[in-house]
Amino acid sequence: MNADVLILAAEEAGGEGIDLLIPTIPELVGGILAFAVVFVVMWKFAWPQLQELLENRQKAIAGQIQEAEAIKAEAQSLLDDYRQQVAGAKSEANQIVEAARTQADTVKADLIAKAQTEAESIVGKAREDASSEKSRAMTEARQEVANLSIDLAEKVVGNSLDRAAQQSLVDSYLANLEGA
Amino acid sequence: MDQLILAAEECDIANEVVCVPANVLDLFEFNSVPVFIGLGAVAVVLLMYFALRKPKLVPGKFQAAVESLMSIVTDNIARDVIGPKGVKYIPYLLSLFFFIWAGNLMELIPGINFPYTSRMAIPLTLAVITWIIFVVEGIRKQGLHFFTDLIWPSSVPVALRPLVGLIEFVSTIVVRPFSLTVRLFANLVAGHVMLALLLGSAGFFLLGVIGGDISILRGSIGAAWFVVGVAIFLFELLVGFLQAYIFTLLTAVYIDSSINPQH
Repeated sequence: MNADVLILAAEEAGGEGIDLLIPTIPELVGGILAFAVVFVVMWKFAWPQLQELLENRQKAIAGQIQEAEAIKAEAQSLLDDYRQQVAGAKSEANQIVEAARTQADTVKADLIAKAQTEAESIVGKAREDASSEKSRAMTEARQEVANLSIDLAEKVVGNSLDRAAQQSLVDSYLANLEGA
Repeated sequence: MDQLILAAEECDIANEVVCVPANVLDLFEFNSVPVFIGLGAVAVVLLMYFALRKPKLVPGKFQAAVESLMSIVTDNIARDVIGPKGVKYIPYLLSLFFFIWAGNLMELIPGINFPYTSRMAIPLTLAVITWIIFVVEGIRKQGLHFFTDLIWPSSVPVALRPLVGLIEFVSTIVVRPFSLTVRLFANLVAGHVMLALLLGSAGFFLLGVIGGDISILRGSIGAAWFVVGVAIFLFELLVGFLQAYIFTLLTAVYIDSSINPQH
């Protein structure tokens, strides 16, 4: 079986027995030439290309990492700025709200004071008006009372009286009444 | 068995139903091995050309695959084994790896089914080139110490030095190229023979059943050979890569022992 296999392998490969182990000249020459071609391609093309590619890739990756770090730093700085600005804005907003509240309190107090003053003024004026109206009414009533009294007295006496003297008398009487 | 051999080999004079040439070029009756060697070299050149003619920083699938294969040699073999000095040898190691692998894969290409690395000329040529580099670099870096340290190893007791020196000299200088050669050659011949036998037998039995010359029961043996043949086919895929890797790795190890003797 083994011998058959070897015979088969040897014959398939183009040789028999010990010939299998002896390289032929065409194969040696073909092998050397083909390998030389492969070597030259690797030496002059493939390896330099690969080296250049790897260097470029290394540079690109390093550049991108550097860029990414710069962007990250910038982003961090922006974030810090924004945080600072937000904190400032919050503080400012608080101040504004506080100032508005204070101002509102002041305005409120002013309005209340003004309203109170106005109310007092209105009440005072009303009182003055009422008092003046009262005195005017009193004067008119007094005049009316004097006229009625004189008219009544004239009817009782039957003669006309000295209207000025009578008026003075009535006024004096009423004055005495108010004085009493 | 005789029938099988005849069927696989000389079907023109056999009266069997199976007549499958070992490879396409056998039809033209001339030595096809140099042609296959040339095809292997062209395949490697084309692979490199298409992968690296316009290399992109962000590689496509094809470029990434070729780069990965190349990095096995440039990083895992040259730099890891030899160190920074290994960069100088990368073109040679790359050539070895891809040239051997292409040859090994030819065993599995339908219509060719012949690994040119199973011909003594190829492993021997490559092993001799490796040996020359190994010896020349050893002499360049270490001078005569390259030989004297082998023949008279200072780390061995004096009484044993002649014996160990002889063994070291023979194993390092004489045997290495042959061990490199035979390892690759024998693996590929064995794989090739196994595949030829298994798939040839499978074809013989199965076509016999179809032709009505063999009973179905006997023909089922062919199915079994076919299954085993397919398994060996897949295994040979691995072997083809592994043998290329091992040859390249050992070359790097030998070069390393020449230029970094302290290792």
